[in-house]
Amino acid sequence: MATFDLQIVTPDGLMFSGQAESLVVRTVEGDVCILPRHMDFLTALGMGEAKLVSQGQTRRAACIGGMMSVKDNTVKLVPTTFEWADEIDADRASRAKAEAEEKLSHREKLTDHELAIAEAKLKRALVRTSVAGRR
Amino acid sequence: MKGIKLRIRSMESTKQITKAMEMVAASKLRRAQEKVSRSRPYFETLFDTVCRIAESSQGFTSPYLENRDVKKTCYVVIAGDRGLAGGYNHNVLKLAEAEMAGKNAAVVPVGKRSLENFRAHGFEILTDAYYEAGDLSVSDCFTLARELCSRFLSGEFDRVDIVYTNFVSILTQQPSVITALPLHGAAGGEKTRSETIYEPDSEELFGRIVPEYLGGLIYGALCESVASEQGARRTAMDSATKNAEEMISDLSLKYNRARQGAITQEITEIVAGSTVEK
Repeated sequence: MATFDLQIVTPDGLMFSGQAESLVVRTVEGDVCILPRHMDFLTALGMGEAKLVSQGQTRRAACIGGMMSVKDNTVKLVPTTFEWADEIDADRASRAKAEAEEKLSHREKLTDHELAIAEAKLKRALVRTSVAGRR
Repeated sequence: MKGIKLRIRSMESTKQITKAMEMVAASKLRRAQEKVSRSRPYFETLFDTVCRIAESSQGFTSPYLENRDVKKTCYVVIAGDRGLAGGYNHNVLKLAEAEMAGKNAAVVPVGKRSLENFRAHGFEILTDAYYEAGDLSVSDCFTLARELCSRFLSGEFDRVDIVYTNFVSILTQQPSVITALPLHGAAGGEKTRSETIYEPDSEELFGRIVPEYLGGLIYGALCESVASEQGARRTAMDSATKNAEEMISDLSLKYNRARQGAITQEITEIVAGSTVEK
């Protein structure tokens, strides 16, 4: 099967480097699937699940923020956060979710900035729990 | 003789301190080095990708790409939190000041030493929220980056430079400057007509990617700086320990000579006394 070069790099290091058969990521506009010989493409990533098929195996991950570029059959995924499903700390994520929900339950007390932070935290926690939960 | 003994003792305690600091710096250095090697691919990929986009940016404009007349430059200066790191803080701050000389500049100091320095010299400080270089996390870098981007777009300044220390090796650290905004293609890159699809449209894409890019850049520079600081401190403390050792051996020699001299004198006195008695 045709493959493409894929590199996933985050501030925490190189997460994946090698050949892949397909890659699904959530961009700011919605999910996209990259297959081999995709034309040059550049997009900003949203928050959601990434699904990677490599050597017949499917791996799932939480992928948040950053960008993805496709150039000459080479895909570079540069997210801010990228965690494989089996590496997610589910307890921590659900705790973070509970905390954020607690904070948002009395939102009138929060400043705009705090509200934005709490919402972002909740979103991140939701992505993590949903990816980890469907293992 | 007593004076020499006291000096030896104080030297020894100094040596213990410098030795301990060296070991602490060495272990911190190992961790910082790991962080650098992990963040480097990210840093490089990010830089390459954005350069490539900037290079092939035909058919659209973005405020991030425009080369405006530089009326005011914002400098992000990353130095250490503590002293006793050899020339580390001095070198990076000197470079920053040389860069700023004669320009209308504002500073975002990162690291206590950086903040203190620019405050003492009366520079305009944009924010002092990021003064602990050692504790800064990725998300702090992104917050800073978003703020810088929005201020850049509003025209508060026309250029953003990052002054940091490049970690070349454990023994060499090189203070350097990179221009973060506006974006510029790699030198000599001809504007090729690209067939790239941008999604959403290029302008919005830039609005989203650039803050990320700047955040990554700042984070990378920070990792390099922290590793450099520990490296510089380790080297400085190592040579301080060596100096202390040298001084101790020098002083011990002097002490022993003085002691020997005193004993010889005493013996001579006793001998002289006993011959007189006979």
